[in-house]
Amino acid sequence: MLARSSLRASRALGATKTSATRTATRNASTQSSSESAGSWKNAALASSSTALAIGSVAWYYYQYGRPMHAMTPAEEGLHATQYPWEHEKFTKTFDHAALRRGFQVYREVCASCHSLSRIPYRSLVGNFMTVDEAKALAEENEYDTEPNDEGEIEKRPGKLSDYIPAPYKNDEAARAANNGALPPDLSLMVKARHGGCNYIFSLLTGYPDEPPAGAVVQSGLNFNPYFPGTGIAMARVLYDGLVEYEDGTPATTSQMAKDVVEFLNWSAEPEMDDRKRMGWKVIAVGSVLFAISVWVKRYKWANIKTRKMLYNNPYAQQNATKHPGSVHRR
Amino acid sequence: MGWYDYLSDLGAALTIQSVAAEQAADPPAEDESSSEGDEKDDSEEAESGDGEDAAEEEEEEEEEEEEEPEDIKDKLEEECMKTPACAPAKHHYDECAERVQGQIDENGKADEDCVEEFFHLMHCATQCAAPKLFRQLR
Ligand code: HEC
Repeated sequence: MLARSSLRASRALGATKTSATRTATRNASTQSSSESAGSWKNAALASSSTALAIGSVAWYYYQYGRPMHAMTPAEEGLHATQYPWEHEKFTKTFDHAALRRGFQVYREVCASCHSLSRIPYRSLVGNFMTVDEAKALAEENEYDTEPNDEGEIEKRPGKLSDYIPAPYKNDEAARAANNGALPPDLSLMVKARHGGCNYIFSLLTGYPDEPPAGAVVQSGLNFNPYFPGTGIAMARVLYDGLVEYEDGTPATTSQMAKDVVEFLNWSAEPEMDDRKRMGWKVIAVGSVLFAISVWVKRYKWANIKTRKMLYNNPYAQQNATKHPGSVHRR
Repeated sequence: MGWYDYLSDLGAALTIQSVAAEQAADPPAEDESSSEGDEKDDSEEAESGDGEDAAEEEEEEEEEEEEEPEDIKDKLEEECMKTPACAPAKHHYDECAERVQGQIDENGKADEDCVEEFFHLMHCATQCAAPKLFRQLR
């Protein structure tokens, strides 16, 4: 429609040239008014309809076509930068030394506010701790026993099958201790936030020395560009040299953030290493089967592919002069 | 089926998990006991918020004996702000900050904020610094 009308418009614009030939002959056969008035009207109609077409499309786009932003960029939060995580690559696993460091950061820094309720001590074993280390760790905490003969619930030291204890008795206690804000459980945090590892790394390392000029930060909140709304109840927690790594890695803010984020990725997705291994198994077995199927196909079709079909057309033999030779087909 | 066992043996030989388990076994028992102590500190902190500051001070004192590791993230990002790619964002932010400071000086309050300018600047700077930073971390 638009194309046709614009075509007409361009034709009308070229009317001066064509008027000598076509318009003149048409005018002669029809009873149109004067020649110049006709072409002026045509041009006006064509260009106004074109303008209407363009205008209505533009209006439609203005009204409905653009993406809608209900929130300002500040309310949305700064989109986290993509960091080149080694463990996210297709052929790479978690760095288990980094997991060990990350767990240390969790225990020494985050554990005072955040729970990690989906991780039992047994799952640390073989990933970044020995059985004895994990057992010793579990025994540091007390857990309820089953009710005894009198129905009393006693305390016992933790076992490998116990889960890492929460810092607060319940959410209300956690809120009361944190100015009304609930520190969320971190077990699945990497999966629970848009941006995953990048977001948490940016969040932990992204506290600027001072908020940008004119930014309003509510009392009790801290400015962090990556947190939606930019005001977060968690203050900056990681500072250079806060923990002392047993493997001698320099404990800079970024290093601790990287390690704890990789650890949190493990806690959210402990099956990742196995999942990648399974993926490569599928590819390996699948490619072998595919190769076999190609060879089997060639074998099965060998007969058919190599046969020669001969057809002697009796009619063609009779009229050998007109249709010389018989037809061979493979 | 023999060939299946052969394949899964091959697979098992190539996996990393068994290696990691051995690695985790390496550190001596001494380290463990010291980290246990830290864990206790933490759980106490959680119960009484007052103890937190004291514990942190202690830690800092310990570290001052050795040399403090320094984070290069801020330095890298500052360098990135000077690159031609990020210079416009830096310019816009500085201009905005100056304007807002002027408003504060004149009327005692800011009529706008520079959060969006800051976003653009940080977006550019972190993106430029990200690969450089991760190359230097373990
Ligand atoms: C002093 C207590 C405290 C410590 C220590 C702490 N956090 Fe938090 N954290 C909070 C609070 C409170 C919130 C809730 C913030 C809010 O909703 O405004 C929070 C929120 C978070 C969030 C969620 C942000 C979101 O998008 O909702 C993450 C992720 C997080 N913390 C990670 C960590 C990590 C990792 C550590 C350890 C390096 C840590 N925190 C240490 C108190 C703490």
